[in-house]
Amino acid sequence: MIEKIVDPEKMRHFPPKGGKIELYWVYTSGRAGEEFFRKLREGKFIAAKCKKCGHRYFPPRIYCEFDFSETEFYEITGEGCVEAFTVATLDLNEEPMEEVIAMIKLDNTDGKIIHVIKDAKEVCIGMKVRPVLRRPEEMKGNISDIAYYKPV
Amino acid sequence: MEVEIVKGLKFHKKQDVAIVGAGMTTFKRRLLETGKELSYFAVKQALEEAGLDIKDIEMVVMGSAPDAFDGTALKGEYLLDGAGGSDRPYLRVFVGGGTGVFAPIAGYWHVASGLADVCLVVCEEKMSCCHPHPQSAFKYIWDPILDRPLKPNLIWIFALEMRRYMHVNNIRHEDIALVSVKNKANALDHPCAQVAEKITVEDVLNSEPMALPVRRLDVSPPSDGAAALIMVAPHIARQLTDEPVWVTGVGWALDTTHWTNRDLYFPRYVAEAAKMAYRMAHITDPRKQIDVAEPYDPFDYKELHHMEGLGLAKKGEAPILTREGVTARDGDLPVCPSGGLLGVGNPIAATMGVKACEIYWQLAYRAGKRQVAKEVTTGVCQAWGDLMQVGTVMVMSNKR
Ligand SMILES: [Zn+2]
Repeated sequence: MIEKIVDPEKMRHFPPKGGKIELYWVYTSGRAGEEFFRKLREGKFIAAKCKKCGHRYFPPRIYCEFDFSETEFYEITGEGCVEAFTVATLDLNEEPMEEVIAMIKLDNTDGKIIHVIKDAKEVCIGMKVRPVLRRPEEMKGNISDIAYYKPV
Repeated sequence: MEVEIVKGLKFHKKQDVAIVGAGMTTFKRRLLETGKELSYFAVKQALEEAGLDIKDIEMVVMGSAPDAFDGTALKGEYLLDGAGGSDRPYLRVFVGGGTGVFAPIAGYWHVASGLADVCLVVCEEKMSCCHPHPQSAFKYIWDPILDRPLKPNLIWIFALEMRRYMHVNNIRHEDIALVSVKNKANALDHPCAQVAEKITVEDVLNSEPMALPVRRLDVSPPSDGAAALIMVAPHIARQLTDEPVWVTGVGWALDTTHWTNRDLYFPRYVAEAAKMAYRMAHITDPRKQIDVAEPYDPFDYKELHHMEGLGLAKKGEAPILTREGVTARDGDLPVCPSGGLLGVGNPIAATMGVKACEIYWQLAYRAGKRQVAKEVTTGVCQAWGDLMQVGTVMVMSNKR
């Protein structure tokens, strides 16, 4: 049997008003993130290479998580290829939607990100994609500064 | 069926536990670095002091207080890569403000049990990102039906406790303010300090009222930071140093969450935790056997309150010891020689840097300008938190 969701407010003698956590956060992108989003505003992409083992981090980081060495930033194209994808048809609240979400491996790095794929008739694994950036004045310093990815 | 239980704690450890390195970041509001990056800085420093590489670390314990500060759920996992936790046994522990000493206790049992020979303990807190004020995150620790509709505030609660402590023991605010004066001055010698200052008792008594008797300078500031500590088995310690610091006792206890049903003048939870740690460390007279102490001091009265819980002073006697200079850095029982939370700052769990790390540095004679004047063998650190209900205690010694 699958339990149907019922209204929990009906289960109390005093109908509760509900409750809210009235907090908000000013998040930090970090030393590496700050550099990344600054460069992105200039239309450039950077990754970070470990000075010891050579692991190429994307998104960039200031340290290597495997040997705790420092890293150095270097420029990349931002292009990559699709490693996995899904077509999402229900959103968080189970309302209908349609969007292609892909895991994208960035060229010349060992790193991946997830992002939305648009303007594609068909999506397949191995497909080459390139980023479409927002206009610099619309950028907020988070991943949505890349508007979406589209086929090369 | 009746089950026969042998009462009392049994300490069957597999091996002794030594501390061989520690590190911490400056405490301040830091908007540039992420919590992962702060953890990385602290760990890197601890590894360098110990002469170890991250590859030598077998297990990692992370201590961090409520997720609500950083605003990420599963905060332990979020911080993992900066704390050196990738691809090894990694565990986050959390007892609110008590975490700064509870995390090293968890590190201790990783090594004492024989599960690990090298365990890294990392504590991180980033409060500056929580708005409108990090204090708001504490609103949600109270019972949503019985307490929260009254809009309680942590400072009020501490004001009630401070008033009760002053009333029962007949203590004046002037005597409590001396703790703030001492700790903020001690912090002048700490390179990581946020609010080190030469102030007077009058400055404290004339500072902005928050919830009387609590005034601005009675209180430690919210902060961001990280600290790290490396615990190892004896055969590893021998290879790294001639002078390791040994963990000789650990203890923790929680009192009821119905905090209104206790008498606030005495911290029973600290006394219980200390009893456990002292039994393990064979300490029968803490006032005589302990050379240096770092009790938790988010408020000035709390240092006194906790000294009494730790048995370093009789009930009501801690303010007298403070007035007589016994607890000064050159006194007979130096208390909070680091400058404590009042002087160095209060990034909740990361206060391990001024509690467990400081006692390690003092006993290893690595505290630099903060080194206490007397010869030291045994020290105790303690933290406190949750809904004013947890005591966490660790005893260390430079003699095995
Ligand atoms: Zn590396």
